[in-house]
Parts: sequence; structure tokens; C-alpha cells
Amino acid sequence: MLRRILAITQKEFIQTLRDRTTLAIMLSMPLLQLILFAYAIHMDVRQIPLVVADQSMDAASRSYITDMVRSDYFQIVETVQGQADVIAAIDAGTARAGLVIPPDFAAQVDRGSANVLLLVDGSDPFTTQSAYNAANAISQTHAVSLALNDLSRSAPGISEQDLSPLDTHIRILYNPDLKDLWFLIPGMIAMLLQTQTIALTSLAVVREREAGTIEQILVSPIRPLELMLGKTLPNLVIALINMLTIVVVGALGFGVPFQGNFALFLGLALIYVFSGLGLGLLISSVSQNPRQAQQLNMMISLVGLIISGFIFPRYTMPPVLQGVGYIFPLTFFIPIARGIFTKGIGIDVLWGNVAALAIFAVGIIFFASRFFRQRLD
Amino acid sequence: MPMRIQRLTALIRKETTQLLRDRRTLMFIIALPLIELFLFAYAVSLTVYHLPTAIVDQSHDSQSRAFIQALVSSTYFDETMVAGSEAEAQQAIDAGQVKAGVVIPPDFAADIERGDANVLILLDGSDSFSVQSGYSAASSIAQSFSLSLTAEKVERMGTALGNISGTPPIVTSTRVLYNPDMKDLWFILPAIVGMIIQTLAVAQAALIVVKDREIGTMEQILVTPVRPIELILGKMIPLLGIILVITAIILGLGVFWFGVAFQGSLWLYFWLSLLFIGSSLGLGLLVSTVAKTQRQAQQISMVIMLFSMLLSGIVYPRNAMPLIPQAIGDLLPLTYFIRLSRGIMTKGVGLTFLWQDALVLVGYAVVVLLVAAASFKKRLD
Repeated sequence: MLRRILAITQKEFIQTLRDRTTLAIMLSMPLLQLILFAYAIHMDVRQIPLVVADQSMDAASRSYITDMVRSDYFQIVETVQGQADVIAAIDAGTARAGLVIPPDFAAQVDRGSANVLLLVDGSDPFTTQSAYNAANAISQTHAVSLALNDLSRSAPGISEQDLSPLDTHIRILYNPDLKDLWFLIPGMIAMLLQTQTIALTSLAVVREREAGTIEQILVSPIRPLELMLGKTLPNLVIALINMLTIVVVGALGFGVPFQGNFALFLGLALIYVFSGLGLGLLISSVSQNPRQAQQLNMMISLVGLIISGFIFPRYTMPPVLQGVGYIFPLTFFIPIARGIFTKGIGIDVLWGNVAALAIFAVGIIFFASRFFRQRLD
Repeated sequence: MPMRIQRLTALIRKETTQLLRDRRTLMFIIALPLIELFLFAYAVSLTVYHLPTAIVDQSHDSQSRAFIQALVSSTYFDETMVAGSEAEAQQAIDAGQVKAGVVIPPDFAADIERGDANVLILLDGSDSFSVQSGYSAASSIAQSFSLSLTAEKVERMGTALGNISGTPPIVTSTRVLYNPDMKDLWFILPAIVGMIIQTLAVAQAALIVVKDREIGTMEQILVTPVRPIELILGKMIPLLGIILVITAIILGLGVFWFGVAFQGSLWLYFWLSLLFIGSSLGLGLLVSTVAKTQRQAQQISMVIMLFSMLLSGIVYPRNAMPLIPQAIGDLLPLTYFIRLSRGIMTKGVGLTFLWQDALVLVGYAVVVLLVAAASFKKRLD
């Protein structure tokens, strides 16, 4: 049995290595993705183009604007006269946010009834969120410091300590500087392993079927399970190489620390890859031609991307969708990858996900080969 | 030999028949965008409320309860767990049971009285969305809590406050234009429409040509009097039709089912999407001239999809990117269409603001189709 598996593996390896272009694309995908994420993606948006209409031009308005700009969240691109001009600039897309400061600002601040209008472009999700949060936080801080000034002036006996009786320390665990790449890399490994294993395997059987070679293989003494295993091995190797590329380039090139136990990670990744291969084989058995296989695995990658918790947190989703997420091995592996890679925790915490993943892997491979046999009759 | 309408219609009929015959593929082509739409509508939320939070209250006095109350009533934090110590809260975050922890030390009320109270807030830094929402919410809640304490204290000291009160002197009203309630789907739908169109168009256009070449029927067609440009148009027009139908379905669902506002001119949107579908099909044809097998065509389309997801401005803002990724994004028709789509659907502006992007798209469609047709001819020699 082992010999037959090896024979198929050898054949698959030769076929894989022969198609140089495909191989090159497959091996460079993770690197490309990593570099894109590292250089192009910023979840926290800075230097948002801001248009300002300062109708007051006094000390109070200037200090307010300075606070906005100094935060590095905003960058003044244009100064205009009034609210209509601000909206026009946002309409045209030259600015993403606008600030309207009414006349007599300083006097109003003294009376304690000043109003500032902040307009945010609501057509661009991340910029809107960042601008909205940043502007509110900055203006709150600014206002609070003014209020504290007033209080200390009106109550001369008050001490510095009394002015801020509460100190709040916010500690961000695992990723104290909030580096985007630290968030993304563990999920990216999980995502990439799934996409690639499914894509590689889903085409494997379908191609043989279309080319008509599947019958030749099946009249030989090879059994379906052996065929499956033989076909998946080369893909397994490619998937693991890709994973190593990301871990190594991520750790050495971009300084993302690997906190946990690497051997454990590798072992669990192997189980995970197997479950992905199983899912791919299942697609392969269901599809009639490569085009269908491609559509199906696009669907799976996409659905997995959204509901597995890779980017969007799962606890905000409706229960039905959370349930659907359990169809994907990705959902179990993302907590594992983040746990070991970023949090540095071990199997004692993760055993639930690991068990689920193992059951999934065994089940799906078994199911795929059963299904495959049925389709042959 | 001039282009013949008769030959073209014959080709279109053949391709349409082929396209409609493969029912299962057709079903996938139509189902995929719908699944995508529903997922984005129901699963994605860009602002995170109700972070599962572990509370460690070692003080149990009125002040600690008031602080927790302030956190919970902001709806950003949900008290899902009561822990005994900081270590226990951290364990819960390790295990992923909660995303945040609040640790209030013993004697909180007395510390506040003395003016040196401390609170520790822990956030799970492995989950970017949660941490970002949690961070800004926690700091602003704590800030206003602290300010109100100070005001209370000053008042108790019996100082004449006059018109000064514990409320900040400046009120900033923030108005979000075009999407006042910051509904996630309003952000996403205009971009998703473009993403779906481009992904479908590139992959299908590339596969349809490569398949003919792979199974050898391409040569049979080319020995007939059919000219390359007729062949291309014949293959692309049925695809254009299908994609247009899908676009209409998605837009219809988005507007009528999910209530996304369509502010601008539908007619203008129709013409611009037609143009965009043309450019994307052209890009697919370019892929088909590079790819030798269906597998390669698929791989290349996946790469284009990946680039589009990240660089065209669907989710991640383009003005935060360095120059090179921005330039790569400029090569994708989606980058231009997203601005057009958001401009018309969400902002409700017209060609006066959008003519540049529209013009680029026209140029793009023409150039890509010409290049594809030219390299088509060459590959046959």
C-alpha cells in the first residue's frame, strides 16, 4: 500500500515540478501577500486630509486646530470660508474630513458654550472610523484640559492631584504597540494554508477526470484512499514551504515575534493542512470540471475569509453565521495560530480547538474518499 | 475583410448556448456574488460594540460600581465574567473567553478621595478590531469619569464656580456626511459591487479563452473566416450580459432588501458599470494571453483578486498607502470604479466631480481591448 502511495506521489511531484509557471506563482503568493500587508495596509489611518473653515481666527480656535494637527491624525490640505466650501471639498474628494469653527469662538469658550462642527466623509469605511474616533478623542481631551484650567483658576486651593483623581492605565497584551502586522500574520498563515491547500487539491482529481486519465488509474490496483493520499502529499509540501516562508520572513524580515512553541505550531499546522486537503478533495469529487472546482473553492475561501474571524471578530456575528463558521477548519485554526504565535500559549489552553480540528481532519478525508468511490459507480 | 454582424451573432449564439448549458457552473457564477453580499451584510461590523469583558472589582464600593457602570452603559463593554484577580482576567484573555479586562484595586473610593486612584484596563492585542474600539472607548470613558469627579470635588470644596461646571466648554458635534448612521453596508456595498464584477469578469474571460485553446477548439475556429476581433467580441458579449444581470441583482437586493441609499443617477451608473465590465473583461483577456493552462489562468486571476482586495480601496484606505502599492492599485480598473461607485451611490455626485475617473476607465477599456486583440493575432503564428 505504501509503495502504491509513493508511486502516485512521485507522479504528482513530477507533474507539479514540470509546470514551472504555476509553481512559481504558488510559491511567490505568500511572499507577495506578506509584503503587501506589511507595506500597504494600515488599519489605523493617519494624516487624514482635513479642510478647515476657521471663522474666528483667535487664540482659542488656533489652539484647537493645533491639537488636531499635532495628533498626526489630520493634515490640513485646504483652508476655506464656510461650511458650504467644506462640504464641496469633501464632495470632490480632496479632503476626507472638515472642521467648521464658528465666529467668536474664544468668547464662546469662555462662556462655556462653544460649538465646533466636524464633518466626516461617510463613504470610506476605515477613514471614517479613524477620523470619527480621533476627532472625538482629541476634542474631548482639548475640552477637558480647558475645563480643568477653569476649575483650577476658580478654586486656587485645589492641588494638581485633585484635578485628575483617576489614572487609567490601558495595557494592550501581546501587541503593545498595536502593530498591524502582528495582528495579521497569524491569521494570514491560516488563511493562506487554507486557500492553497483547497485550491491545489480541488483541481487534482477533476483534472484527471477531464483528461480521462482517472479511469486508467482506477483500473490499476490503486485504491481511492491511496490515490487521495498520494495526490495530497506534494501539495502538503508546497503548503508547508509557504507557511515557513511567512513565519521566517515575518520574524526575521519584519520583526514579528514568535512567542510560543514552534514545534507545537508546526504539528498543529500539519493537522490543519490535512483538513484543508480533505475539503479540497471533497470539492474535487463534487465538481464535474475545473471551472466548477474553481468556483467552489473561491466560494469557500471567501466565506472563510469573512466568517472565520480572520479580520472581523466572530462574537459580533449573528449566531447562525457563527455556526456556519464551524464548517471551516480555518475557524478552529485561527485561535490556535494567534494563540501560539502572538499570545505564546500552549496546548493546555488550546486543546478544545485542537481536538475539534483533529476530528475534522479525520472525518473529512474519510468522507471525501467515500464520496469519491460513490461517484465512480 | 470587414467585420460581419452575421458572423458575430453566430458566435454570440454559440457562446451563449455553451454558457447556459453548463448549469452547475452558471449556478455558481450567480450564487457566489449573492453569498458574498449576504455575508458582508450580516457578518461584517466595522465598529465593535459589546466586547466581552472580565471585571475584577477588588473594591466593591460605590465609586467602583459607578466606573463599571460607565463602561457598560457605553455599550462598548459587556460584563460577561467576574474574575478575582488580574492574573485570572489575563488567563481569560489568553483563553480567548474575553477580549478585555478591567481591574479595580481595593480601596478605590478612598483613593479617589485622596486623588490617586488607579484603574487597569487590559485589552487583547491579538485581535485588531476589538483592541482599537476598546482602546478609544475606554480612554474617553475614563476621561469623562475623571472630569466629573473633579467637578464634584471642586463643588464640594464650596468654591463659587460661577458659570463653570463640570461639563467641557467645547461641544464638538460630529456629522458623518452621506452615511449619517455609519451603517457598515453603506460603506461596503458600492465597493463590493465593483469587486464582484471585476473578479467574475477577469476569471471568466480568461478561462473561456484558455479553455478553447487547451482543448484545441481554438484552431478549428480560427481556420474559419472569423476574425480575432469578432471572436473576442463573440465570447465577451454573452459574459457581459450575465455580469450585467448579476450587477442588477446585487444592486436591487442592496437597495430594496438592505435599504442602502442610492443617491445619484441610476442611468449614469449603468453606463459606467458597462464601461467597467468592459475594462475588466479586457483585463481577463490579457490574462488569457499570458496563461497557457486553465490552472495558470486561475492562479493569475487569484493574484489579481488579492491585489484588488487590498489595494483598490475597498476596505483599506488608499491615501494611507506608500507610493508603490498605490501605483499598483492604479493598474486595476476597480480602483477607478470604486470612486465612481461611491461617488454616485453614496455621495450622489455626478460627472462634474467624477469625470476624471470616468475618462481613465474609457481609456483603460480601449487600450486593454486593443492590446488583447493584437496579442491574440500574434499568438497564432
